[in-house]
Amino acid sequence: MFGKTSRVGRTLQYLALAGYLIFLGFPLVWLLSTAFKPPRELVQLHPSLIPTNPTTQNFVQAFTEQELGRAALNSLQVSLASAVLTVLVAMPASYALARFRSKLGTAALGWVLLSQLFPFVLLIIPIFLILRQVGLANTHAGLVLIYVVWALPFALWMLQGFVRNIPRELEEAASVDGATRLQVLRRVVFPLLAPGIVATALFSFISAWNEFFFALVLVKTPELATLPVALARFVGIEGTARLGPLAAGSLLATLPSLIFFAFMQRRLSSGSLAGAVKG
Amino acid sequence: MTTLAERPDVTRAGRSRRPNRRSDRTAIYLLLLPSLLPILVLSVFPLLRGIYLGFTDARAGRNVDVSFTGLENYRELLGDGLFWNSFKIGLLWALGVTVLQFLLALGLALLLNQQLRFRGVARVLAVVPWAMPPVVVGILWKLVYHPDAGLLNEFFHRIGADGLRTNWLGDFSTALPAVIIVGVWAGMPQTTVVLLAGLQGVARELHEAAAVDGASAWHRFRHVTLPALTPVIVAITSLDFIWNFNSFGLVYVLTAGGPGGKTMLPMLFAYEEAFRYGNYGYAAALGNVMVVIIVALLAVYLRRRMREAN
Amino acid sequence: MLRTRFRRLAAATAVAVVGLGALAACGDGGDDEATSGPVKLRFLSLAWQKESLQANKDLVAKWNAEHPDIQVEYVQGDWNSIHDQLVTSFEGGDAPDIVHYEASAIGEFSKQGYLADLSDLISDDLKGQIDQGVWDTVTFDDKVAGVPFLLESQVVIANKKLLDAAGIAVPPADGGWTWDEFQANAQKLTKPGQYGVAWALKSPTNRVLNLALNFDGKFFYTDGGRTEVRIGDAEKEVPKRIHDMIYTTKSASPEALGMSGADTLPGFFGGKYAMLPGSVSLRQQMVEQAPEGFEWVTLPPVKGLSTKQAANPQTLSIAEDSKHKKQAAEFLEYFLNPTNMAALAKGDWLVPTGKQANEELVKLTGGKQGWDVAADSAADLTVAPFQMADGYPEWKTKYATPALQQYFANKITLDQLATQLVDGGKQVLR
Repeated sequence: MFGKTSRVGRTLQYLALAGYLIFLGFPLVWLLSTAFKPPRELVQLHPSLIPTNPTTQNFVQAFTEQELGRAALNSLQVSLASAVLTVLVAMPASYALARFRSKLGTAALGWVLLSQLFPFVLLIIPIFLILRQVGLANTHAGLVLIYVVWALPFALWMLQGFVRNIPRELEEAASVDGATRLQVLRRVVFPLLAPGIVATALFSFISAWNEFFFALVLVKTPELATLPVALARFVGIEGTARLGPLAAGSLLATLPSLIFFAFMQRRLSSGSLAGAVKG
Repeated sequence: MTTLAERPDVTRAGRSRRPNRRSDRTAIYLLLLPSLLPILVLSVFPLLRGIYLGFTDARAGRNVDVSFTGLENYRELLGDGLFWNSFKIGLLWALGVTVLQFLLALGLALLLNQQLRFRGVARVLAVVPWAMPPVVVGILWKLVYHPDAGLLNEFFHRIGADGLRTNWLGDFSTALPAVIIVGVWAGMPQTTVVLLAGLQGVARELHEAAAVDGASAWHRFRHVTLPALTPVIVAITSLDFIWNFNSFGLVYVLTAGGPGGKTMLPMLFAYEEAFRYGNYGYAAALGNVMVVIIVALLAVYLRRRMREAN
Repeated sequence: MLRTRFRRLAAATAVAVVGLGALAACGDGGDDEATSGPVKLRFLSLAWQKESLQANKDLVAKWNAEHPDIQVEYVQGDWNSIHDQLVTSFEGGDAPDIVHYEASAIGEFSKQGYLADLSDLISDDLKGQIDQGVWDTVTFDDKVAGVPFLLESQVVIANKKLLDAAGIAVPPADGGWTWDEFQANAQKLTKPGQYGVAWALKSPTNRVLNLALNFDGKFFYTDGGRTEVRIGDAEKEVPKRIHDMIYTTKSASPEALGMSGADTLPGFFGGKYAMLPGSVSLRQQMVEQAPEGFEWVTLPPVKGLSTKQAANPQTLSIAEDSKHKKQAAEFLEYFLNPTNMAALAKGDWLVPTGKQANEELVKLTGGKQGWDVAADSAADLTVAPFQMADGYPEWKTKYATPALQQYFANKITLDQLATQLVDGGKQVLR
């Protein structure tokens, strides 16, 4: 983006990147190391990175005790549904919010912010009551509904920002070329929105994947439990935990989001404005 | 299609839109409907109820009568020194985390937008904090800050800087900075991804044109990238600020508000008031007051930014 | 043209959302039970250690096999979220039938009317197994809010080799040290790079108030229906002694202040701390995590005027909204019979409240691995005034914990601590 960069500049860039990645990524190394450690090695005064006597016992325990496989499947179902629905709902709405200034739109955006601001703990009980009323308690559909509503504020705010970033002239140019509005949306707007949509889908997927409290109180049937709820069972009184199985389970719980993002991240660059316009 | 430089007939397009005003309005409502409907059901009612609770003496209990008390809660709240103290801590926390998060994330997003080697891998690693299950995050950071066997103190020990070893979460002066760092760590990926996505919208042509004009990298960043990114920056920083102000789960796991109340965030305060002591009415009043103050702060911020952008 | 297309797009999305709701409505949304068929009970358990989890599941499976007409569904909760989960499900009218929790927390729920009064639901046999002092911890306004079943006494776990090296003899299970002896021995065990004691004071209030009973420190006094916090010499004794160990004799580590019990383990196993005053359940970590060749011993509770401690037993309660209280009580009777209670206590490394269960457990384990000390400590556990006080949770979080943390960090004096605690009491106990 900054054109040619000197060799020194490049080296500095790599160093900075390395610094960032160590700061952000070291937990993965720690999870990996802990997941393979036997109980004795978890409480050393000088912890070592590489387990002295590596074991797979933690994985065995994690899976036999808590049926993490089924929980992961439940989570995957709920998270994918939330991600798809959030994007489907937010895309047209954010376009409307950004392109047509209306009182309703402003009110909606303001409301969305307000709903994020009020102490969440006070909203939990009424939401729970509503979902019970409409028969959505103890179902994955109820969870998906909450997650979509929950992700919408972010999705709307972000996507309308991205829509604003697309020069109106582009759309108008296209419609002058004889394209219908839907074609304009499909050919010009959505491709340009791709990075924003990726960010939104990722946000929605991960927040659903990691959400704990609603999954805990809304779903009663053990067979329907999601992954975070299953993982929490390795945590005990006063901050104690069965660290081995917890780390093993958490490692496996971290991977799907990373894989999801690995596939999506390409789209973070392909939607660049020039490319789309030149088509 | 053609590039935008060759498309000067904006005026004509603008004129052709005018008769469609009416249909636009219908279109807006139709476009907004699918998202407004669930929001209405699942957020408006609970929120209105929550706001109303702030004017009552609602308490936890089976078949408890609730009566309207008007401004009684707020009178009590004004004299609640503990709450205002925690509110100050909350502002410090939310501002600290949001600003650091934004600056660091912007730097990272710019790096990840370069044609560097291993860019894909780097991008994936950068979202690790986000992808990790929250249950394990708190435990992990406790182990990082552990005074005896923590990764941080162990690091200082190994490089021979034993003097820098501290009881990070237990010391009165380091506790708040320590949890702020955790907050920055936890929220950075999200901000980074959003900014990275935003950077894609910055037209390459503008950059190239600027580069041809001989503008320096900083100049181009300041006058091309930043303005184009402004809507996204405004949106993400406002949301980040709200989220940070509202989040207390991680801090609760790390310090439970201690030592000596140094990390008692206002949302944690409201949570305990509601869920631990059962004072729903008072907790809702705390919520109302916080909403009003934060909205006022945000309004100032948003108005300023929007004016700059226009 | 344009309009219809837009409408179609919007309509399609709307259908997607509404359809989701409809879909779910068709599915299994009801939590209403069938009118016929076996009674179904939901049991929310907090067992989390491998052995105790197994013990719980085994007992439930056995019950279900023997009682086809009363089926218990075992649901595993967790200690960190149990409170929020219960508040939400009680308020939402969706509580589990049987709830596992602890005495200090169920008082509020009982007073709010969410827990059934068990006094007439459980047998005299079970009542007789458990000391009145322990029953008192779960009795609020003459209503029994739960059956106490597991006790967590405070003992001292010590590094045997370091004791030997300092020439300190291990006291017998029924003859523990006095506080003076304990402090003197801690001093003997202190040298460069080694502290005699690590006081894990992450939750200082419970810890101090529990141990304060050693010196008859009550903190909460009720006269004529009014409760207030008073701090006299009896209340000051324990905090002062701990403070002395940290700052005067320097035999206790200041770094351990923010730690929970389990956080002190790396230092203990690494020889940095010689003794850990803490819960009997720490023995489990000793067995599972101590390095090879590490020798540990369980020392009896330390004695002040007495060895009395406040008991905060784990409890099993029945929800007031449960439709099958009688059947739930039947299950509790079975679940907590002496043999089963002993198995549950063994799984969690805690002390059973039942006398017979305790005897069985000592027989079962031969009193090894500190089970003799654990069994003996059961007699010390009783109710403390703070457990009965309305507003204790608020006083604890808002005033007592910050004040104690400041005192133990040497930021305020003992007198200032006393003032803050008393003033906090005035704010909360109105």
